[in-house]
Amino acid sequence: MRLSQVSFRYSRRGPWILRDVELMLRPGSVIEVTGRNGAGKSTLLRLLAGIIPPSRGTVTDRPRVVGYAPDVFPVDQPFTVTAYLTHMTRIRRASPAAADELAVRLNATHLMDQPVGDLSKGSAQKIGLIQSLLAPPGLLILDEPFAGLDEQTRIELPVIIGEIAAGGGTVVVSDHQNQLQNFPGADHWLVATGAVTARTGERPARAVIEVLVDAAEADGVEQKLRADGYTTRRAS
Amino acid sequence: MIALVRFKLAAYARSHRLFQPMIGLFAMLAVFYSSTVPPGSELSSYADSAGLLVVVFAWAARGLLDTEPATQRLISMTAAGRPGREVGAGLLAALAVNLGMAAIAIVLPLGIGFAAMPSPGDLAQGVALHLLGLIAGTALGMLTSTPILSSPAVSMLALFGGYLALLLISLTPVGRFTVPIMPWMRAANDGALGEALPTLAAATLFWSVAGVVAYVRLRRTRP
Repeated sequence: MRLSQVSFRYSRRGPWILRDVELMLRPGSVIEVTGRNGAGKSTLLRLLAGIIPPSRGTVTDRPRVVGYAPDVFPVDQPFTVTAYLTHMTRIRRASPAAADELAVRLNATHLMDQPVGDLSKGSAQKIGLIQSLLAPPGLLILDEPFAGLDEQTRIELPVIIGEIAAGGGTVVVSDHQNQLQNFPGADHWLVATGAVTARTGERPARAVIEVLVDAAEADGVEQKLRADGYTTRRAS
Repeated sequence: MIALVRFKLAAYARSHRLFQPMIGLFAMLAVFYSSTVPPGSELSSYADSAGLLVVVFAWAARGLLDTEPATQRLISMTAAGRPGREVGAGLLAALAVNLGMAAIAIVLPLGIGFAAMPSPGDLAQGVALHLLGLIAGTALGMLTSTPILSSPAVSMLALFGGYLALLLISLTPVGRFTVPIMPWMRAANDGALGEALPTLAAATLFWSVAGVVAYVRLRRTRP
């Protein structure tokens, strides 16, 4: 799959969100996308998924089956989890057993009879992941998939990502929480100021900076740094 | 795409949003047929019903399209294979709901509204007018749905204001070139609907298709 000179803006007079983006996605690759809030990560993911067309440029050779899990799964829906996933299975023409198998892997079997509207953030996130995996995706796009997940699912999800990549699928993950930082061979894209900088199969060099703040301001500073995509650790 | 249509219809029915236009439909039919329609006036009643129910059809279409949360629409687009299928499924689901409501508006007066059965010709023209009404209403509902008008207040104002504008403009001499609601009511009252129907249908279909095309184009950047 290839993005050639792709630019995007939401309206004719609106600001450019992405400009002249040139990217190649190899089959079997795993790509971690980072960038500060509002940099255009979600827009880039939607362009990749084919949800929105580029304002300029072309996207070619997109795989036929695309799985997409949004950063916040929409719980305002009048279905039980089972009824919802049954509809999604039919829309995707996937195997009727796929939802149950994925529910076992993602520790979600206890959620199946619950109304979607009653799900917690982490539980809803699991349903969003399950629907994206119902049909084996040639391109899997996960927008902040680790947010709110329990420990077992945090461990299982990279395994599933690895399986899809091993089967020739491409996986693109927006990951503020750096859960894929140790994923072997993952490519890295940084989205900033309308551009996407790609580094292939290597991690960007990292540095540790100590920031001393008043204890009363620590929460606020930490939240700001995390919102900008940085990893923080409290020393005291 | 049929599976996605069924998903949208199931969500609409389970969300109870269907009740709002259904209540509107039955309230209007109760007013239309509060007194029995005398023999020979059935087509005129059908023409009024088809014209006035346009706003109910628009309300139903808007409610159906707004049932899915915005993020679910993104999921549906990828699940269906491409965005156009999600937009098409929304259109088909809205037409299906409005076909059901139009069927009620046609069949109900046969049992409790008309003193005598209308002639087959009048019945066919009544069906044709309701089809035109539901197509125009569906287009208006699509253009006032959340992806196009995100503010609920502006959306409702556009829906009811748009319908009122259609009624008022169709009273003027240029009315035949817009969605000609008043002209089709007048033609039915004057017994001249048969010869006027092709022109009235062409104008209604033209503007309805233009509305749907505008909706589809706007949805390209408003998923």
